Amino acid sequence: MQVEISRRRFLQGSATLCVVGAGITTTLFSSEKEKEKLTPTTKTGTKDVRLVPTLCEMCVNKCAAIARVENGVVTKLDPNPYFPKSKNMLCARGNAGIQALYDPDRLKYPMIRIGKKGEGKFKKVTWDEAFTYIKESMVKILDEEKDNRSSFLFCAGEGMAEHTFKMFYEGFGSANWLNHSSICLQTVASGYGVTIGEYPQVDFENTKYIIMAGANRAEAIVTPDTMDGFKKIKAKKNAAKMVCIDPRFTNTAAKSDVWLPIKPGTDLAFVLALTYVTLQEELYDKEYVAAHFNHFEAYKEMVITNNYTPEWAEAITGIKAEEIYKVAREFMENAPQAIYYPGRRSTFSKNDFQLRRAMAIFQALGGGIDCEGGLVFGGKLPLEDHESLAPMYENAKARATVKKENNAGYSDCAVVSGGGSWISWRNNFLENKHPYNTRGMFCYKHNPMMNMPNTKKTAQMLQKMELLVCIDTMPSDTVMYADVVLPECTYLERTDPVKTFAGIEPSIAQRNKVIEPMYDTKPVIEILRGLTKKISKPLFEITKKYDAEVQEAIMDSSEEEVYAEFDLTLPFAHSQEELNAHAVSKYPQAKENLQKYGVHYPDMQTYFKQLSANEYESYPKNKRFYTVNGKKPKTPSGKVECKIDSFTQKGVDAMPIWRDEYAFHVPEGKFRLLSGRHAQFTQTGTANNMMLNDLMHENYLWINKRVANEKGIAFGNLIEVTSSIGSTRLKAYPTEKIAPDQLFFIHGFGQEASGLTWTYKNGGNDNAIIEDTMEPVYGAAVMHETNVEIRKV
Amino acid sequence: MARYGMVLDYKNCINCKACEVACKEENGILLGADKHRIWVGTGEIEGEYPLLSIASSAFIPSQCQHCDEAPCQEVCPTNATYYNENGVVCIDPDKCILCSYCMNACPYDARYVDTRAMVIDKCTFCSDTRLARGETTTACQNTCPTKVRIFGDLDDPNSEISEVLRTREHFSLKSHLGTEPKLFYLT
Repeated sequence: MQVEISRRRFLQGSATLCVVGAGITTTLFSSEKEKEKLTPTTKTGTKDVRLVPTLCEMCVNKCAAIARVENGVVTKLDPNPYFPKSKNMLCARGNAGIQALYDPDRLKYPMIRIGKKGEGKFKKVTWDEAFTYIKESMVKILDEEKDNRSSFLFCAGEGMAEHTFKMFYEGFGSANWLNHSSICLQTVASGYGVTIGEYPQVDFENTKYIIMAGANRAEAIVTPDTMDGFKKIKAKKNAAKMVCIDPRFTNTAAKSDVWLPIKPGTDLAFVLALTYVTLQEELYDKEYVAAHFNHFEAYKEMVITNNYTPEWAEAITGIKAEEIYKVAREFMENAPQAIYYPGRRSTFSKNDFQLRRAMAIFQALGGGIDCEGGLVFGGKLPLEDHESLAPMYENAKARATVKKENNAGYSDCAVVSGGGSWISWRNNFLENKHPYNTRGMFCYKHNPMMNMPNTKKTAQMLQKMELLVCIDTMPSDTVMYADVVLPECTYLERTDPVKTFAGIEPSIAQRNKVIEPMYDTKPVIEILRGLTKKISKPLFEITKKYDAEVQEAIMDSSEEEVYAEFDLTLPFAHSQEELNAHAVSKYPQAKENLQKYGVHYPDMQTYFKQLSANEYESYPKNKRFYTVNGKKPKTPSGKVECKIDSFTQKGVDAMPIWRDEYAFHVPEGKFRLLSGRHAQFTQTGTANNMMLNDLMHENYLWINKRVANEKGIAFGNLIEVTSSIGSTRLKAYPTEKIAPDQLFFIHGFGQEASGLTWTYKNGGNDNAIIEDTMEPVYGAAVMHETNVEIRKV
Repeated sequence: MARYGMVLDYKNCINCKACEVACKEENGILLGADKHRIWVGTGEIEGEYPLLSIASSAFIPSQCQHCDEAPCQEVCPTNATYYNENGVVCIDPDKCILCSYCMNACPYDARYVDTRAMVIDKCTFCSDTRLARGETTTACQNTCPTKVRIFGDLDDPNSEISEVLRTREHFSLKSHLGTEPKLFYLT
C-alpha cells in the first residue's frame, strides 16, 4: 500500500494515532496516568533471564514461542525451533504478543453492568459478587424454564482452552452450542471430509505444482504451509510452480508464477473445467481411479455431458480457456506431486461446499492423496482422555432449530453440525421462531458483534438475552453488552490443555504459563472452578424439582450418589498441569520435555538437529508420515466419493454441478464487496494491539484506480460504503490490484467499543454491511455475495 | 573480531513484517512508523487490472547497509557514529548531538531520530542485545517465516554467508556510490 512506502507518509499515520489515543477517555479501563508511563517495548538485556517455552495465541496456528522473562517482565518472544509445525518462525502478530499481555485496556477485574445493555458502563466487583449475580440469574431463568438446560446458549471462539469451556457446557446440559465453524471453515472441512474422508494437510516441501485458489497464504498465514510454500516456489533447486487464482492481486499473487484473476464466486466453474480437460484428454491416473473411486463413471458422464469445457468456463470465470487447458495439463503432468490447495477460510459463496467437493475430486484424479508432494493426512500422537461430565437432564430440550413444514430438514440448511449455524440461530432467535426460549448466554473468547455478518442483528440478539456472561481478555464490542464480565488472563499467563498436532511430522505441544496472571484475572479453568462451586448445588436443586428421573433415582439410591453425576465442579477439580501430565502419561519423558522444550515427540532427542542458522530438522525424511493410509482416502468406503445419493433427500446436489444462479453479477453502479485477511491482524482479536496498530492503523477501501479517478476519489478520501443492511465509513486506497466492479477491505476494524483505546472507530466494519445470507448445506455465512454502493463523504 | 554482513534472499519475502516487529521488541524501539530500524519496501504495481506485472510488485526488505565506507560515519562531527570491532556501524548516544548530518548523508534512509534516547538511531545487527548474549542470529533473521536473511562473518570463508556469496549471484544497493555495503541481495 502507498502508506507503507515512505517515512513521510508514515509520519502522517503516526500523527493520527496520537490524536486518536489522546482524544478518548476510557476512565473505566485505563487511567491517563497509566498511559503516560506506557513503555510498549523493552530492550532485551544480557543478564539474568528465564526462558519459558509457550504457544502463541495471536491467531489459530499455535506456533511455538520461547518467552524471555527479565525481572518478571516478558521482554521478547522468540520462535521455538523444536516445533515442527511452526518451524522456527514467529510472525508479526506472534512477536507482538507481548502487547496483548501489557495492553492497558485489558479487562482487569470482574465487572457487573450498571448502565444500559451495550452502553459499556460497569462496576468493579469481586469474583464472589460476580458469581453470585450469575447464580441468582441462572436459578431464576432455569426455574421459570422448568430445568430446560437449553434455555442457555454457549458460544466460544477457537482456542486451546475452548475444550475447557466446552466441558462446562456439556456438564450444564444445554444443546445450544455455537462456535466459529459456520463463520469459518465448516464448508471446506466438511466438503473434503465427505469426499476423501478428512480435511487434509499438504506437503508443499515435496510438491512440484500448486494451485492456490482463494487462499492467501502470504497474508492469511497458516503454518507450516506459508513457510514451506513460499520457500518452495522461490527455491533455487526443484522449485514448484504456483498458480494463484484470486479476484484480487494479493501478496500471494505477487509471489506466484502465474496470477489468474477470477470473477468472485466462480471457482467451481474453473475446477469443473479443469476436470473436463482431465477427463476428456484422459490425463487422470487410471490405476488410482480404478482402485479408489466410487461412481467415477457417473461423475465423468455428468462433467462431459454438461459440457463443462474451458470455453464454457471462460465466460463464467473470466479466465481464458487456453489458461484453463494449460493449468489442467500441467497439474496432471506433475501429479501426484501436485496440489490443488484445499484452503482454510470462511465461506465466500453459496456453492462453497460443492466447490470443495469438486476440488477434492480433481486432486484425487491425479492420485495425489496421502502421498509425498500431495495432500496428506499425516501421523498423530494420541493423548489420554480424561473423565468428563455428561449428565442426563430429562427436561433439556434439543438444539433450538427451525424445521421445514413437512419436517423434511431445516428451514435454513440441510445439516446442522456440532458448531451450529450462527446466523440461522441468531436470526431465528430474533424472529421468535425457536420452539422454546433461550434466555441466557455464556460467551467465551468470542466476539459475535464483530465476527459475523449483520452487526445490527447481533446487537439486537445480545440486547434480548436476559443474562450475558462474557469471559474475555479485552473489552470487545460483545463485552459491551455483557451483564457480567469475567476477565481471563492472556495466553502468556496460563498453562492451557496440552494438544497433539497431526501432520507429516507429528508432535505434542504445550502452552506453559510464562508469568503469573496480572491484575485480578484468571485462566478459564479457574474461572469455571469458582463459578461451578457457586452454581452447581443451586442448579441441581432445580433439576430435583422438575426432573422425574432424578427424583426416582434419588428414591432408589441417595441424593449424594445422584448429585455426583451432576456435580459441575468435577471437570475443574484438577489443575491444568495435572490434567496435562495425565494426558501425556503414556509417553516417557513427555511431561518433562513439554515443560523444558514446549514440545514432545518420540525420538525427539535423536531426530532433532540444527542444519544451519535458519534451518532445523525435526524428523529425518525416512521417518516422516507422508503416507499413513496406503494412499487411499479415509472415507468409510475407502473410496473417493464422487456422488453421494443420500444428499438429494436433503436437497443437496449429489455431485458438484454448476447452477446458473452461481454466476457473478453486479448491477450497474454497484460493486461486489470482498473481505479478507492481513498478515498483521487476526480477525478482530488483535485490533487493539499497539504494535500491530502501529504497522497499520486502520483498514482501507481498495477501489480500482481508474474508477476512483472517474469518481474523483483520491487516496485517503473518506468513503461511505452502503449495502441493503447498513453502511460503514473508511478511507480509500485506489489501486489497480482490484477489478473495476469490486471493492475490498480487510476484516477486523471499525470497533465501536470505547474501551479499546487504540482501535476505537478505526476504519470500517465489514460485518455492518455484509448481508446475512447463508449457504444451503450447513448454513454457513456467505461473505462475498453482497453488492454495495459508495459515496465520497 | 569479525566482519559482519547479511545476505537477503529477498524474493522469499512475503511482506509479513515479522522482522519489523521482532526488531522493535528485541531492541526496545519506539512505536511510530517513522521510527524503525528495518523495513520492507514496496512499490505501486505496474499495469492495469487484470494485466498486472508480477515482477513490478517486489518486496524489498531493507535496513542499514553497514557500509565499509559509511557516509554517515564520515560526516559525523562528534564521532558518535563509529565502526565497532566487528565492522558494525554503531552510534554512541553520549556523543550524539542530534545534528542529523548522518540522516542526510545516508543514501539508504536508514537512520531516524529516537526521541526518547535523543539519538539518531539505526540498526546495529542486534550487537548490544542478541550478539552480546552470544547468540548468532539477529532478531529479524531468526523470526522470519521464509528465512530471507543470513547473517554472519564475511571474513570467515567457512561461514554460511561466505558460502552463499561464493555460489549465488547477488547485488548491493547503490553500490556506485562507493559505500561498499555489507548487505547483499540474492538474485
